[in-house]
Amino acid sequence: MNSVPAVEVDGVSKNYGSVSALKPTSFAVPEGRYFVLLGPSGGGKTTTLRMIAGLIRPTTGRVRIGGRDVTDQPANRRDTAMVFQGFALFPHMTVEQNVAYGLELRRLPKDELRDRTAAMLRLVGLTGFEARRPSALSGGQQQRVQLARALVLQTSIVLLDEPLAALDATLRKDMCFELKHIQESVGTTFIHVTHNQEEAMTVADEIALIAAGTLVESGSPREVYETPRCRFTAEFIGENAVFSGPIVEGALRIGGAAPFVRDAEPPLAISVAAENIDLHLQQPDLEQTLPGTVVDVFYLGFSALLHVEVDGGPVVPVRLLSKELDAGIKSGGRVWLSWDPDHARMHTA
Amino acid sequence: MSHDYESRWVYRAKWTYLLSVVGVLMLPVLYTLWISFNANGFGAAEYDFTVFWYVELFKNAEIRTSLAWTVLIAAIVVAITVPMGVMAAKFYQRTRFKVPFVFLMLSPLFVPADVTAAALLVYFKNLNRLVEGLIGVELFDLSLWTAVAGQITWCLPYAFVVILVTMGRFRPEQTEAARTCGADAWQAFWQVEFPQIRPGVFSAGAFVTILSFNEYVRTNFLKGGFDTFPTYLVSYMLNTGMTPEVYAMAGLVSLVSMAAIGLVLVVALRRRIG
Repeated sequence: MNSVPAVEVDGVSKNYGSVSALKPTSFAVPEGRYFVLLGPSGGGKTTTLRMIAGLIRPTTGRVRIGGRDVTDQPANRRDTAMVFQGFALFPHMTVEQNVAYGLELRRLPKDELRDRTAAMLRLVGLTGFEARRPSALSGGQQQRVQLARALVLQTSIVLLDEPLAALDATLRKDMCFELKHIQESVGTTFIHVTHNQEEAMTVADEIALIAAGTLVESGSPREVYETPRCRFTAEFIGENAVFSGPIVEGALRIGGAAPFVRDAEPPLAISVAAENIDLHLQQPDLEQTLPGTVVDVFYLGFSALLHVEVDGGPVVPVRLLSKELDAGIKSGGRVWLSWDPDHARMHTA
Repeated sequence: MSHDYESRWVYRAKWTYLLSVVGVLMLPVLYTLWISFNANGFGAAEYDFTVFWYVELFKNAEIRTSLAWTVLIAAIVVAITVPMGVMAAKFYQRTRFKVPFVFLMLSPLFVPADVTAAALLVYFKNLNRLVEGLIGVELFDLSLWTAVAGQITWCLPYAFVVILVTMGRFRPEQTEAARTCGADAWQAFWQVEFPQIRPGVFSAGAFVTILSFNEYVRTNFLKGGFDTFPTYLVSYMLNTGMTPEVYAMAGLVSLVSMAAIGLVLVVALRRRIG
C-alpha cells in the first residue's frame, strides 16, 4: 500500500458569482479504495467530482493526484478517467471506436490497441457488440461501454458521476454488484457520485456525505449507518427516528418524557434506527417509554414499516418483522415505544 | 396528411394555402425559366426549345468575367463566414448573455440593405483616408475585400442560426467525455463535436453560397472596379430592358440556387437513409 493518497482534496471550494456550490472541503482517498460521494441533489458532490476530473477549476484550494498538484491541469492532462450519467458515448463512432478513442489519442500501436479494447469489452460483458452504434444499445449496455472506455486507459483514478441514475431499479442493483466486482478485480481507485444510499452502501468502502456544499461526515458504510455522528447523516442514511427537544436535568425531553439517554452532554438531538425501536401494545413495565399512535402501516414483505406519532413529539419510523403485525397492530392504535439505551446516538451537529 | 377527425374544409384550406405559396413564390421564377429556353423570347406565339440564349451568355466575355468574380467572392465569403458562424454558435452556448448576443448577431438583418451598404461605403472611405494618411497605403480602397466584408455582414446571421440549430442537439457531456479520455480542446471539437454538427455546417455553407451568389445591394456599393453577375444583370437590364439574354441570366441564377438547395436535400436524405 502506498502511503500517498490517490486523491487529495485540500480546502477546495467552488463559487459561481455569489453562489457557493461547495464550501472549502478537504478529504483524501487512499489508493485502491471504492470511495462514494453521497448526498442530495445540488449538494455539491458532482461539483467536487468535476474538480477532481479537471472539468471545472476550484475557486480556492488544491487538488492532488498521487501527491502531485494538478489544480492547474485540464482534464486531459490528469491521471483520471470518467464515466458520466448518460449521453456521453460518441454517437458517430462504434462501440469499439468509443472504447479505443483514448488509446488512439495516446498513439498506441494498432495491435495493442485492439487487444486492450477487446479485453475491456470482455470485462464488461460486451464481446460481440464491437460494431454496434451506441444508439443500438440499451441503457445498461451504454453504461458498460462508458466503463470500458474509462478503464481501458488504465488511469490511477476512475471517476463515476451518477453512472447508474438513468437505469431502472433492477438493472441498477445488478450493475452495482458488477461495478464492485470490477473495481475489486482491477484494483483502481474509484470515486463514485450518487444520491442513492442503497447504491452507495452496496459499492462503497468509504462514504463521504456531502450536503449543502459541505462534507458532513465520512466513514465506512457500516459506520455511517450504525453510528452516524451528525444529525443530517441519521436523517439521510437509513431509517431513523430523530428526536430533539429541551434538555432538562441532563436529559432530552420528548413530550412529557425524558427517554433513554445515558450521560446526556447537552446533545441537540438523538436518533434511533427504526429497526432498534421496540413496540408495545400495552404500557410496558419499563422506566421510560414514549406513548404514541400508529399513523400508517406499510407491509413490505419480509418486514413492515410503521409511522408512529409520538405524543407531543414527531412522527417516527418503526421497523418490524411482518409476522409481528399479527399481534393486532393497526393504523390508529395506541402503542408505546422503547429502546435499549445503547442504541440511542447523540448528535451535536 | 389528414387527421381522422379533421374537417374537410380545413383540409382544403391547407392545400389552398400551400398551392398559393407555390403559385406566388415559385411560378414566376419557373415562368421566367421557361421563357429563357424559348428561341422566340417573351410574348412570342410559338415556343421553340433552345439553349441558344445560354450559349450566347457564355460567349460574352464580360459575363464570364462577372461570373468568375461572383464565384471567387462566394468562395471567400463561405470560407470566412462558416467558421465565424461555428465560433459564434459555440460562444452562444457558453455565454450567460444569450438574448443580447443573439440580437447583436442578427442585427444586420434588421437594417435595410441600402442603409448598411451606404454606411459601410462611408466607413470604408473614411478608414481608407485615415490609413492612407498614417501609412501611405490605400488599404481600404473599394475592392474585392470591401465587397466580401459587406456580404459577410449579410450572410453571418444565417450561418449562425443554421449552425446553432444543429449544435443545439449536440450534448456537451461528449466534449467532457472526450477531454477525460485525453483529448485537448481542439481534438474534442474536431473529432467529437464537428462530425456531429457537420450537416449544419454543410447547410450553412450552401446557404451562404446562395446568399453571396445572389447578393446585389451591398456588393454594388462596395465592389471595386469590377462587376459580379447580379450587378452586371441589373445594369444590363436597366440598359436594354427584358431581352432574351436577361431571361437567360435570371434563369442561370435560379438554376444555381436550386442546384445548391437540391444538393443539401440529397445530402440530408442520404444521411437519413444511411
